[in-house]
Amino acid sequence: MPEMRQTFSRAYDWCDERTGIRTLIRHALDEPIRGGARWAYVFGSILVFLFLLQVVTGIFLTMYYVPSADHAHTSVAYIQKVIPGGSMVRGLHVYGASAMVIFLFAHLAQTFLFGSYKGKRELLWGFGVIMMLIVFGFAFTGYLLPWDQEAYFGTKVGTSIAGEVPVVGQFQQHLLLGGNNLTTLSLSRFFTIHTFLLPTALVLLIIGHIYLFRVAGAAGSFSVRNDHKVELFYPKQLLLDSVGILLVFLGLVWMVYKIPAQLGPQADPTSDFLARPPWYFLPLFELLKYFPGKLSLIPTVILPAVLFGVLFALPFFDKRPTRNPLHRPLATTLMVITILGSVGLIVASKYQDRKDPDASAKLKKQEEDSQAFLKAEFKPEEIGKKPEKSAPGAAAATIKGEPPDPYTVTCSLCHGDHGEGAEGLGPSLVGITSKPNRTKEDLLKILNDPRSYGLKDPMPANFPDLSDADKHAIVDWIGAGK
Amino acid sequence: MDPQPQPERRSFLGLMIGIINTGIAAFMAVTLGRFVAGPKTSTASEPEWLDAGSISDVPDGKPARLNVTVAQDAGWAQFDNQQSVWIVKKGDNVQVFSAVCPHLGCSVNTNANGFICPCHTSTWNINGQRMGGPTLRGLDTLDHKIEDGTLKVKYQFFKQGLAGKEPIA
Repeated sequence: MPEMRQTFSRAYDWCDERTGIRTLIRHALDEPIRGGARWAYVFGSILVFLFLLQVVTGIFLTMYYVPSADHAHTSVAYIQKVIPGGSMVRGLHVYGASAMVIFLFAHLAQTFLFGSYKGKRELLWGFGVIMMLIVFGFAFTGYLLPWDQEAYFGTKVGTSIAGEVPVVGQFQQHLLLGGNNLTTLSLSRFFTIHTFLLPTALVLLIIGHIYLFRVAGAAGSFSVRNDHKVELFYPKQLLLDSVGILLVFLGLVWMVYKIPAQLGPQADPTSDFLARPPWYFLPLFELLKYFPGKLSLIPTVILPAVLFGVLFALPFFDKRPTRNPLHRPLATTLMVITILGSVGLIVASKYQDRKDPDASAKLKKQEEDSQAFLKAEFKPEEIGKKPEKSAPGAAAATIKGEPPDPYTVTCSLCHGDHGEGAEGLGPSLVGITSKPNRTKEDLLKILNDPRSYGLKDPMPANFPDLSDADKHAIVDWIGAGK
Repeated sequence: MDPQPQPERRSFLGLMIGIINTGIAAFMAVTLGRFVAGPKTSTASEPEWLDAGSISDVPDGKPARLNVTVAQDAGWAQFDNQQSVWIVKKGDNVQVFSAVCPHLGCSVNTNANGFICPCHTSTWNINGQRMGGPTLRGLDTLDHKIEDGTLKVKYQFFKQGLAGKEPIA
């Protein structure tokens, strides 16, 4: 053992002579903290940890993920259902994102309450505010990537809001979508922004933020009484940070085991899915209900812009040296109002959804669909299949065998005598059971409630004339052959 | 004012920090290791008989290339993959070779004396026996049968770079 230690120490010396790593680590660890180590200071380190966790899980997720509208959902389902550890890696990424928002608010609140933005820390604070915007950018762009119903319709609303911004709205929406609609081009763009542009920006800003923090020095406690006590970052604060990180990590792992990250059925633009934003956008979503027409710019654009503007400018106009939150009644009151207001709006939006019977039934149904999809066995996608050998030049493919009478009576007018389909009326049903969400069980459900699968006119809303036996006969015939 | 704790306490706290962070790193390493390794590949099932085309289209004594459609499983995707096979027909005697070079996997082509791999110039005679170049073995033969004039082939992939033919599971 002593020899090993000696070899290690010699290797360390060798590296140190060439890199100066010893001085660097010393400098990093020997950061003086006025007033001593505290639990209140752990949020910054937790955020760095969460970001690293997002980077690592995100990089690994791209090993299987396909940023294309026709494969994204299948590849995410494959990660979630088939890959060993896939549910954990994706779950950590999904819940880690929410945790980042939570600890961002905690870090911001702590810095704000302790008045730690004061004393030549304008840039340090400003970097932080920009980083908050970037974290929201991550949340917004990452939301679309699974390409399920929630992702598609949530992003549709989000990009429409981006389009409402005066003057630049249409341009920025077009730029974001890569066209006028939410398509596979938009997905590629969101993926690029999410995985290349934003991470690069955030890494640079984090480096800048930490550098500026070390230049300014830890602000420490707002109480001057503790000023005589100074502790170094290592070991006590680093231990507190590590324990904080461990608790957050264990919490995330526990969450993933308890409630696997959601994944609903694949996006279906024709469905009437009821989209609800993630919790951190709920306050703005709720406000949107109170501002009709042009006034909707107030919650979507003006209020967020004012909030961020005020936050950004805060250290420039609040120059009084007082840091104790009890001696800064205006600042503390504003913060409490913002927090209570946001929580109140979240509660209000949840309450309204529960109170409205239509919305609550629909949301419950969507939730059940999502759970059912998550439980269902993974079905691989068939890609690049050659058409059946008999197909070239032949007439439209038909379903083999004679159709059952209920089919001829009820379905054939639109879907053709043998399921070949009719232009402008109904699609071909040939081989339809191999398509996603069109298993024989799905077809039965469709016959029971076409609207639940997003099917619209001319597909009837229900088939009162068909008995259960009729429905089974139709589905069996469609599923039997090509 | 002494910002430095006692050395023993300092190293104990350092140990705690090390244990916590190593624990998190170890959990992530195991999870990500399993993630990268992917699902267990199902044990190779017996390859299916695939249609390669009509045997009457193959000229006598001259290699002919036919294609078979191989269903391939790629995790979330299942797709049809065209693979070439070389057919050598001499009267009633038919041989079927995989067009994948047993050296490093390029596509084998024909030349005046039999077969050649254009990548690293391995050569084989018309019976698929090794003549020269870096390859360690002859062309890989594939099981086949003729039914109603249609050539059927059991298509398989084999490990490359070995002296013996070993199917890839």
